[in-house]
Amino acid sequence: MKDEDTLVEEILQGKHSSFELLLQPYRQGFLNMAYRITGDSEEAKEVCQEALLKIFKYLKSFKKGRSFKTWSYKVLVNTSYDYLRNKKKFSRVIESQKAASVYVVPEIEQKIWINQMKEKIQNMLDILSPKEKAVFLLRDSEGLSVKEASLVLGCSQISVRTHLSRARQKIKAHFEKKQRAQEREEKT
Amino acid sequence: MRCQKIRRLLPLLAGDELPEKQMAKVKEHLKGCLPCREEYEKYVLLVRNTRRWLDENRVGWEEQEWRDIVQNAVNQGTKRKSVLVPWPFPRGWAYALMAGVMLLIATFIVRPPFVEHNGLTPKLGDEGEAKKQEVVSMTMVSKETGLKIVWFLDKNFDLEDNE
Repeated sequence: MKDEDTLVEEILQGKHSSFELLLQPYRQGFLNMAYRITGDSEEAKEVCQEALLKIFKYLKSFKKGRSFKTWSYKVLVNTSYDYLRNKKKFSRVIESQKAASVYVVPEIEQKIWINQMKEKIQNMLDILSPKEKAVFLLRDSEGLSVKEASLVLGCSQISVRTHLSRARQKIKAHFEKKQRAQEREEKT
Repeated sequence: MRCQKIRRLLPLLAGDELPEKQMAKVKEHLKGCLPCREEYEKYVLLVRNTRRWLDENRVGWEEQEWRDIVQNAVNQGTKRKSVLVPWPFPRGWAYALMAGVMLLIATFIVRPPFVEHNGLTPKLGDEGEAKKQEVVSMTMVSKETGLKIVWFLDKNFDLEDNE
């Protein structure tokens, strides 16, 4: 298999079919990362599309010998947060329209369980700050090392460790709180 | 190290993210401290479970969907080419050239070279021209404030204008 620098060189020379080969190892990782940040699979796909376009467009600025993995994840994480920022602005406008038409869709039991599980994870991620969330996902979901995560986020390894430690402390506190509430409910 | 400091490092020890030096110190502390060890075990469980949950709840691409998205990026990326792409020199040069051209155009508009200027400033010319000069100017500059006053007088020394 060709290395990433060779594939980048081929794409820059006009062999666009190499672009898919270059991204192949990260296709699931990209979608998952975007999904965890946005919390919606359709939105995650939109973010991926935008990120892929940016990667293709700015491939010229990718320096040889550096890790394509960290560079491309950096583009993806930034695109995801840009998307969320824009969505926040847009959602303020349509919030009032949406509020009038809320209804619950009936679902089968298994689907409910899957949704509950997804909700649990999403709730767990929602208590984290954007940076803590990014560090936590890069490490625990995508398996990047502390060094790689620091390159993706453009911060020091110490900062990555601090955010990661804080994220886990928050998640632990969140679960402990939930557990205590559950125990109290069972007693009553 | 104190327990308080150790507790901050426990989430990292559980995820195997501590540098070796610190790891050894924390492990040494855990040998003699039961409450910290219990806390550490909780973190180990937490890291293991969250990683498993995240792994079990992954979303995936359908093959065709992925190909379409990659193809779309390539198509759009090749379509959105800059107008400056055929320019063989650094892009900054193109901007500098454009600025120069615009400055030239602006100069032509403000002071067209093909129109004779009949402004109040007397032109410097040969002696014959100087004799024909109808407007005389007188300038006074203040040494203290640098204020400059210019009087323009006609051939009868009547005040024409001042600046």
